[in-house]
Amino acid sequence: MRLPCPYCGNRDAAEFVYRGDAAPRRPDGEAGMFDYVYLRDNRAGEMRELWYHAQGCRNWIVVTRDTVTHEIHGSELARDNKR
Amino acid sequence: MGEALTVSERTGLGIATVMARRGVDAAAIGAVLGCALPGGPGWRNGGDLSAIGTGPGTWLVMTETGSGDFAEDLTQRFRGLASVTDQSSAYAVFRLSGHDARTLLQRGVSIDLHPAAFAPGSAATSMISHIGVIFWQMDDAPTYEVAVFRSLAGSFRHWLDSVAATL
Repeated sequence: MRLPCPYCGNRDAAEFVYRGDAAPRRPDGEAGMFDYVYLRDNRAGEMRELWYHAQGCRNWIVVTRDTVTHEIHGSELARDNKR
Repeated sequence: MGEALTVSERTGLGIATVMARRGVDAAAIGAVLGCALPGGPGWRNGGDLSAIGTGPGTWLVMTETGSGDFAEDLTQRFRGLASVTDQSSAYAVFRLSGHDARTLLQRGVSIDLHPAAFAPGSAATSMISHIGVIFWQMDDAPTYEVAVFRSLAGSFRHWLDSVAATL
């Protein structure tokens, strides 16, 4: 699988570290912290995922990928995807 | 046609990482540096300086006339604009030149080095034989330079010699 890094271009998945679902947002207080840290959906279908380009530009990116077909719909720098 | 492949090591270089502060663009940094900076992964040469884009707002800046004060000098000039880290002793830089250079490098990286995709002025950060590399193309010979972490230079040279023997 090749991932489209917004900075580097298409790169082999071996250059990246997978972090998982990009949807969870850190809660302001303790309420919801357990869910934020531990609970993740295991979705079949389109999903926004965090990947770290460790062997490239060393930036976190968000990739929109279909977990069933592995089709990739786009990517952006995680810094541009902040709250 | 010249030599099929010439390999040499660049020595005495001043090398520094320049990371732009938030909201500071490449043009502002390039103006202070006196060398245009690539907006993406690329290599630019200006005067005795060259700059390689290694990430968003991040460049590897090199000078041939490297003194021990190179990074310190940049730190002073970029105060408030960018953070500077001295890398002069951190990287070994190999120069690969000749018509076999592309074939050799292509056997190490899963990035398309065809002239239509990777030309003089192009640069990339990737890995060769599990070793992190930054490389850029300088001319159509073709000539490439590859920067590797100095402690892994021996391992990189081993890979290079092994592949060169098969060309």
